[in-house]
Amino acid sequence: MQWARDSRLRMKIVTIFFIVYVVALSFIPLVQQLFIAQSSWLGYGTGAYAYQSPSYFVLFNDPYDGSSKPNIHVNPSFAPNVRISIVEFSDWTSYVDGFNLFNDFNVTIRASADGKTLDAAYTRPGLILHKLIELSSNTVQVKIIANKEINAHIELWKWIMTSVNNVTAASTAKPTVIPTSTNINFTFNDQSSNAIGIGEISLSRVPTQIEVWPFENGFNRVSVDFINSEMTFTVSGSIINPGEVSWSYGDLVYALPVIAIITVTVYLLVEHYGEKNKDRTRRSSS
Amino acid sequence: MERRIKIVLAALAVRVAIAPFFMHSGDLGTIYESSAIALNGGNLYNYVYQQTLQMQYATGLPIFFEGYAYHPLLIYFFVPFYWAYTLVAGTAPSIIGGHFPNLPILVYPWALLAIFMLKIPIILADVAVVYVLSGLDIKKAEIYAFCPYVIFISVVWGMFDAIVAVFLLLSYLTFNDKGSYALSGFTYGLSLMKLYTIVLLPLYVVRLYGKWRDLGMFLAGLSVTLLPVLYYWIVSPISFWNVLVGFQASRVMGGVNLYNFVWIIEDVRFDLLISMIPSILLVISLAVIVLAYGRRLPLLEAILAVMLVSFVFGKVLNEQFLVSILPLMLLCKECDTRLWIAPFIFIFLRSPFYYFAIPILWSSPYFYDLYFQADTIWRSLQTAGYLMIPMYAVGVAFSLLLLWNLIQVLSVSSPAGGALLRSLSRALRIRRK
Repeated sequence: MQWARDSRLRMKIVTIFFIVYVVALSFIPLVQQLFIAQSSWLGYGTGAYAYQSPSYFVLFNDPYDGSSKPNIHVNPSFAPNVRISIVEFSDWTSYVDGFNLFNDFNVTIRASADGKTLDAAYTRPGLILHKLIELSSNTVQVKIIANKEINAHIELWKWIMTSVNNVTAASTAKPTVIPTSTNINFTFNDQSSNAIGIGEISLSRVPTQIEVWPFENGFNRVSVDFINSEMTFTVSGSIINPGEVSWSYGDLVYALPVIAIITVTVYLLVEHYGEKNKDRTRRSSS
Repeated sequence: MERRIKIVLAALAVRVAIAPFFMHSGDLGTIYESSAIALNGGNLYNYVYQQTLQMQYATGLPIFFEGYAYHPLLIYFFVPFYWAYTLVAGTAPSIIGGHFPNLPILVYPWALLAIFMLKIPIILADVAVVYVLSGLDIKKAEIYAFCPYVIFISVVWGMFDAIVAVFLLLSYLTFNDKGSYALSGFTYGLSLMKLYTIVLLPLYVVRLYGKWRDLGMFLAGLSVTLLPVLYYWIVSPISFWNVLVGFQASRVMGGVNLYNFVWIIEDVRFDLLISMIPSILLVISLAVIVLAYGRRLPLLEAILAVMLVSFVFGKVLNEQFLVSILPLMLLCKECDTRLWIAPFIFIFLRSPFYYFAIPILWSSPYFYDLYFQADTIWRSLQTAGYLMIPMYAVGVAFSLLLLWNLIQVLSVSSPAGGALLRSLSRALRIRRK
């Protein structure tokens, strides 16, 4: 065999190598999602962490954003790549001993060595608070542990909940305290996908107060107040009506190889016909 | 009036008219902040390194603060204009914050003056390119002067790749036309304001290999520009190394290239690992180009070949990088200069246009509100992944077009091809026997 003596042939080989390279690399996100990303806390961006279990996707935002601390999404069985938020813990609007969780604490975030637990440590003079987030097959657990008894006001957001513990917006037009319980059951109509779902938040202790906040035809948040050094929120949920789910961010891993193949095909066609035309022009001019 | 002067003045007028009203708040904010630190005698690298340490401590991740990670000399192009600005507006900050993912706070009317003043070196660099090009080919000068992509990068974005462009152009011209190797080395050193032109150093060395006096002159010129590097190396070695080398080496791949798929992988450690793939290919391809084609090709084509191969295989290719070689591409008959269309489209897929109009939109509560209304729609498209599809397609297309241009440039050499490939060919034949 002779190694591409003709320079044109050599360049063709380089092009073919590059095209194979482009297409091969386009499969990397899919490979990562299928074999690496499952069931482990992984950090990305400017310090956010995400966990993908078979049925839940949980996002814990970076230290520069007070939203999604964490944001718990469900992957419906009929569309496993779709992420529909069940409930979002917000540091913007949550307080401990009167101090805002986002503005008044220093935060460090660490994933455990086995990647199963995320520990967000909130510190300020005399007070250390941990948010520990773990996933089991059916639930997501958000455990708040402090180094002393705290007076906490934690807000959980969802746009929008159609009912909370059987209380609907029709029956209450302004922020309303509902009977305390260790269970918060809610139904929701997801604004982005129009999916209808149910969610359940089990509390490890009876809180001092649960309040719902009306928005449009439902509620957009539930606040839970408690005085204790520990509280666990165990969240679960499911989608009962898929709504208009046709595409989601999770589908990108399948789309990229298709885009890569289409783009290189177009390139090859343009190059081929461009060269043919060039040859024809050369012949006719000579 | 001479046509050359007319074009230069027209290029200047267009840029001056646009400059105060637009900016990329992350990048221009960095220059503003760094100019203030430098004018006060602060150490930029220590500041950026501290921010990085804080981020790494807060998140437990190998991530870097995206601040001033450039050649130490760069900031002194901006400091005189910042100083002139402070004479008028005082030293109270007028552009506050703005590092991704935060938005800036602007103090009017001084923010507009600060934006304008900090863009003057970039405008002057652009105009200098137009002036030099118009002395060679007036048509090419016109293309550069009024290219929407160049205008956008320089005066809408406020990125300074035009400074790299003018010094790279001068380095080529002084090396090729006048044989002023010391001046060529000096201007090449100044083109290192953005470090991606470092890939050209082996090419210059190979071109001058054996002509020891000329090589010495070139390196002497280059070394003058490296004196500030030496200073920071001595004064704050850890910060300097971390910010300049650590940050550039540990960047996750992506940009207007085939590697931007990495943006959908939510795992920075994995991203860093796979970012080694293009780095390995970059080293191999650069070695092949420099050794096989470095002396064989005319200098213009050799420079372009090295830069193009570094764009094809380099792990990071930001939207503005192409500005640096656009003047040289305009001088090259084999290149298709319409290449700029791809990164120009990409800009609007990655960042919404209104982001660049913050200085206008922040000036009134009505526009301020509109910004956030538009941003809600933009973010919903982004979160759904709709923007990633065209971004990836444009990235792949741009990489393929760069490759096509590279092949055209390499085709200038003799049909027998490069020495390295010939040796490889010989080796294969021997093995077969």
